[in-house]
Amino acid sequence: MLDRFCRIVILVFAAGFLITSGWAASFTASLDRDSIALGEQATLSLKFDGVQPQDAPGIPNIPGLQFQYVGPSSSFSFINGQTSSSITYNYIVSPQHDGEFVIPGMRADVNGQQLASSPLKLIVSKVNAPSAAAVNAGDEVAFLKFEFPKNKIYAGEAEVGQLELYLRDDIQNFGNFQLTGTPTDGFSPGKIAELQSQRRRVQVGNRVYTVIPLAVPLTAVRTGSLVLGPFTASVVVVLPSQNDGGDPFFRQFFNQGQQKQVTLATDPVSVESLPLPEKNKPANFTGAIGNFTMTATAGPTNVTVGDPITVRVQISGSGSLDAITLPPQDAWRDFKTYPPTTKLNTSDQFGFQGTKTFEQIISPQNADVYELPALTFSFFNPEDGQYHTLTQPSMPLVVKAAGATPMPTIAANKNSAPENQTPQDILPIKDNLGKLATKSSPLVAQPVFLVAQAVPVLAFVAAFVWRRRTDSLANNPRLRRQRAVTALIASGMDDLKKYAAANQPDEFFATLFRLLQEQLGERLDCPASAITENVIDEHPVLRGAPAATLQTLRELFQLCNQARYAPVRGTGELNSVAAQFEKTIPGFQEMKA
Amino acid sequence: MKTQIHSSEREFAQIKRKLEPTYGGCYRFSILLLALVWAGNLFAADVAADFSTANRLYADGKFSDAANAYGKILQTGGQSPALLFNDANAEFKSGNLGKAIAAYRRAGLLAPRDSEIRANLDFVRNQVQGPTVRESRWQEWLGQLTLNQWTLMAAGAFWLLFLLLAARQIRPTLGPKLKSVTTMLVTLTILSGAVLGLQAENHFSSQIAVVISAGATARSGPFDEAQSAFTAHDGAELSVLDRHDDWIQVADGSGKIGWLPVKQVEILPGA
Repeated sequence: MLDRFCRIVILVFAAGFLITSGWAASFTASLDRDSIALGEQATLSLKFDGVQPQDAPGIPNIPGLQFQYVGPSSSFSFINGQTSSSITYNYIVSPQHDGEFVIPGMRADVNGQQLASSPLKLIVSKVNAPSAAAVNAGDEVAFLKFEFPKNKIYAGEAEVGQLELYLRDDIQNFGNFQLTGTPTDGFSPGKIAELQSQRRRVQVGNRVYTVIPLAVPLTAVRTGSLVLGPFTASVVVVLPSQNDGGDPFFRQFFNQGQQKQVTLATDPVSVESLPLPEKNKPANFTGAIGNFTMTATAGPTNVTVGDPITVRVQISGSGSLDAITLPPQDAWRDFKTYPPTTKLNTSDQFGFQGTKTFEQIISPQNADVYELPALTFSFFNPEDGQYHTLTQPSMPLVVKAAGATPMPTIAANKNSAPENQTPQDILPIKDNLGKLATKSSPLVAQPVFLVAQAVPVLAFVAAFVWRRRTDSLANNPRLRRQRAVTALIASGMDDLKKYAAANQPDEFFATLFRLLQEQLGERLDCPASAITENVIDEHPVLRGAPAATLQTLRELFQLCNQARYAPVRGTGELNSVAAQFEKTIPGFQEMKA
Repeated sequence: MKTQIHSSEREFAQIKRKLEPTYGGCYRFSILLLALVWAGNLFAADVAADFSTANRLYADGKFSDAANAYGKILQTGGQSPALLFNDANAEFKSGNLGKAIAAYRRAGLLAPRDSEIRANLDFVRNQVQGPTVRESRWQEWLGQLTLNQWTLMAAGAFWLLFLLLAARQIRPTLGPKLKSVTTMLVTLTILSGAVLGLQAENHFSSQIAVVISAGATARSGPFDEAQSAFTAHDGAELSVLDRHDDWIQVADGSGKIGWLPVKQVEILPGA
């Protein structure tokens, strides 16, 4: 009995296990749609039932189809005691061209189980631009137009085409606009940009459309018949819901609308791309196409042989600025040239208008160079179909011989910081220690320095005092005479001693008499020649003089007079007279004049 | 380096032998002078060698070692703009913004018109966070010359003026001819004297503290327990307002005032 019960329980659990674990794990591939238009996208789902792979399975490479992994989704269900689980890996499939594509069956190895999916077929139909009748009838919710301004273009010429997205006025909203095909074979496309300022509303047929223009910059890179387009795109628009139920009043507020993906296409546009004419092509033409002007400057213009001169050439205008190169200047044969640097400043969003600046370093190689030769630049103007050559006149230069000066290096000094440029790091260390100095207090705090500043002041004070004394003397003749007499007396005393020593009484007394005359004349303010012995008694000034002084004067005058009659005297007596005179002089000088 | 020393010793001995019999009484003085010059040259040779060694360390990317090597040279008392500049570079590369700024500023005081010092100082200053004190425009203008250069300019104008005045006393006839020159010199003397006064005042009266530690906390009083006033980042330059023991009172560029320990800053003259 017990064995039977156990057997039943085991069978029930075994059956449950088999049911819940799923007998057969499966792998299914499916597409949400079998047929789509070019520009639309389909969703590929890889579903695993009962098993869970560790990673999303790889998709085989299929030319013309692009797969973008979106992510997994999983489900788990328990119905009537039966459980099931599945995981689905989702991919967006974007066709690159129309046609029939086969997604082959895929294999997956999950936990040792080999699972396989069935192949899938996807039909991608070509999208055609709507007919004019359909457009005019207002049947098209949205459509796309492409316009190119020229039907003939020169290879290398740049032009801006315009894509226009037309959205009917009943579209409540739109989004997810994607250009799915931009065939521009033979052209080099630039970045497509919306021209927001040029949005407008136009009447087409009996409906109003909002036009959203997009600029497509294109540069022809090949000659021949070129075709632009058809450009294809898809956009999701929101249209009013077709549900007419409910109150119309509330419907106008709560109508959420219905989304619709619209595939768009343009008509192809044929363009004839012409080669540049060979006739009259300038020798220095380097492929610049457009309409340009040129300015050039050079500096410095006073240099030594080998010194760098910066030639700055600015080419402004419209055209393929990117393609412009500075032509080699054959006339610069006396210069060493270095590769130019370029800077492009564009004034429009497509880079077709602006200024391209070339900075070229050149250095004269000899002192015979006297000018920077004329600079030429040629371009082809597609508007008139002609080549044009711009010439910048020669610029005078003064080039001196280098002598012993070493050739300068053109490369920037490793320690120099470029101007107007944010440095990325500090400048490197210095190799040269330079002059070492010891720390000391500033000069202005050093006493020696401060004292030294008195020197010019003292010099000035000395000069000032000297000037005052000189001026004072110049304005006082008596003082001047007094000083002259003092000097004369000083030198006369030497003469007296000399004559006394030589025993020359005549010269001695003649000198003594003259000295007496000069000294008294100065004191009495009268000519020296007017002084005689009689003056001692007659002049009022001398009357007040000390008697001893007057007596000495008399004696000296008498000795001078006696010497004329009795000239022979000894050296000793002459010395005695000289000493007496010398002793008397201070008394004379102290007399009030 | 050893070769250089031996060579210098040989030269010194040779000159000593030559001088001894020739100059007799002046011999001792000459020997003393020569010894001083020789010692000076030896010192310079040592410093140059150490400088090259530090440069090599820097070139090898051993910035901290290079900074230490430059620092040792600076401790000997000698300094040059290049030495301070390289020291600052090594400190910056070692991540010490404050020490780098302090060294650049010291280098700038010696060579104020050195564009490389200015460029690197500006670059490092841009790395510093938080408010910082910057020189005013007139301080920058004054800083184009060192204090000694301003002093020499003012002294030169002063000397020229008084010597000219003395010459006019000696030769009064020069007076009318030198009138415009005298006026110019009077103006120059007054102006340069005024500028010197400003610069000297800036040098002696104002000081700048450069924070050399990361995240120094300025406190409301000169003691550790005082409340935090603000945080000064490494490299911040602050005006020194006062000093109390081992604390200095500082103000940052936004006007906040606080006290910082002296060990967290490097104090530099204002000019």
